[in-house]
Amino acid sequence: MFPIIQLGPLSLPTYPLALLLAGWVALEVGARVAQRLGIDGDHVYNAGLYGLVAGIVAARFAHVIAYWPAYRAQPLEIFGFNTSAFLLWPGVIAALAVAGWYAYRRRLPMARLLDACAPGALAGVAVAGIGALLAGRAYGAPTDLPWAVDLWGVARHPSQAYEALAALIVAGLALRMILQGSRPGAGALVALAGYGLSRWLLEPFRAESATILGGLRLAQVLGLAAALVALWGLRAVGRRAGEAGAAAAE
Amino acid sequence: MDPKRWNLLLLLVLLVGVAWIWLNRIPGDAATATAGLPPAPAVGHPAPDFTLTSLSGETFTLSSLRGTPVVLNFWATWCPPCRAELPELQAASERLAGQVAIIGVNQAEAPAAVEAFVRGLGLTFPMPLDVSADVSRLYTVRSLPTTFFIDRQGIIRRIQIGPVTEATLAQILKGIYP
Repeated sequence: MFPIIQLGPLSLPTYPLALLLAGWVALEVGARVAQRLGIDGDHVYNAGLYGLVAGIVAARFAHVIAYWPAYRAQPLEIFGFNTSAFLLWPGVIAALAVAGWYAYRRRLPMARLLDACAPGALAGVAVAGIGALLAGRAYGAPTDLPWAVDLWGVARHPSQAYEALAALIVAGLALRMILQGSRPGAGALVALAGYGLSRWLLEPFRAESATILGGLRLAQVLGLAAALVALWGLRAVGRRAGEAGAAAAE
Repeated sequence: MDPKRWNLLLLLVLLVGVAWIWLNRIPGDAATATAGLPPAPAVGHPAPDFTLTSLSGETFTLSSLRGTPVVLNFWATWCPPCRAELPELQAASERLAGQVAIIGVNQAEAPAAVEAFVRGLGLTFPMPLDVSADVSRLYTVRSLPTTFFIDRQGIIRRIQIGPVTEATLAQILKGIYP
């Protein structure tokens, strides 16, 4: 367990560092795959960085609205460097919206762009998972299995490693499909289905989960829903390609 | 794949999916999930107990606060973010008097220096003195400030490395002690 990396007098928190590394891996892999698909890799970096800035601003803005009484007393805190004063979901939505808007304005082929970004995003998920394992975050349920890791006197599933491994496998599958010339959008949908199913399958190995509706694990429900939507989408992609093929044959 | 097979696949995923979710639901009482864990400086574990002498000369024992949510902050006078955060904790201790106990463990400093500093900032919440840093080691505090949020049952619900502000404190308290 290494929540802090100590470099001489410098204490660096492991998990935020892993998140930074994950973001870089996601953009770098995304840019490289985009090049292979004939999209300028700089577009991936631009969309990612605009999205990041928009996400940070929106996440702080939402925090200010939600906790306005605390900010009213100290308005300068609105611009403070406090890394916990953010709300996640408003940030994620704003980041995706701005990245999407960038792609739209540049008239980038949306389905191909998503194909390019999907394996990188999953590689980033894997890096973040390894960071969580090192920092002892989102840790696993107790177990007697031989590969259990010891955390504060309890042998636990290395559930973060399971999730990281699953993300890498799905990323590899999606990447292979994409590089072998799959239909536009199919690789991204396979990645979404695979990631959704991996969260659905592996969430029970975590010690703690957010729950809804009297005890259902939220990540499992969202994972399954995402997988079903993605499979539905794959069906539509296949059908559309089939119709196009039939029209071409005529 | 033809549409019929697709429909079958979707139905199968849905059924197996719902079954696996149902099998792995977490029963209503979340406390059962953490029962029997050893005390450790980790979320979900009981907070390790300790006894120290506080700045006012009284004996302070963490477990004596059982039944009250505790904000356990580790700090030192040489740490600038601590200096920025302590007035926020003071304001919270006044606002939440009787509801949440705010505790500031000073890490390994001379009582006289701590006393002058505390008087200068007008801090009135309990300040146990961890003179030999034993409690800091027990809680594996590697950087200051670090704050542990402990619930009424003595279970650690969150660990904040780095300073809290009034806004983040309000957010955390709302999440942990509704």
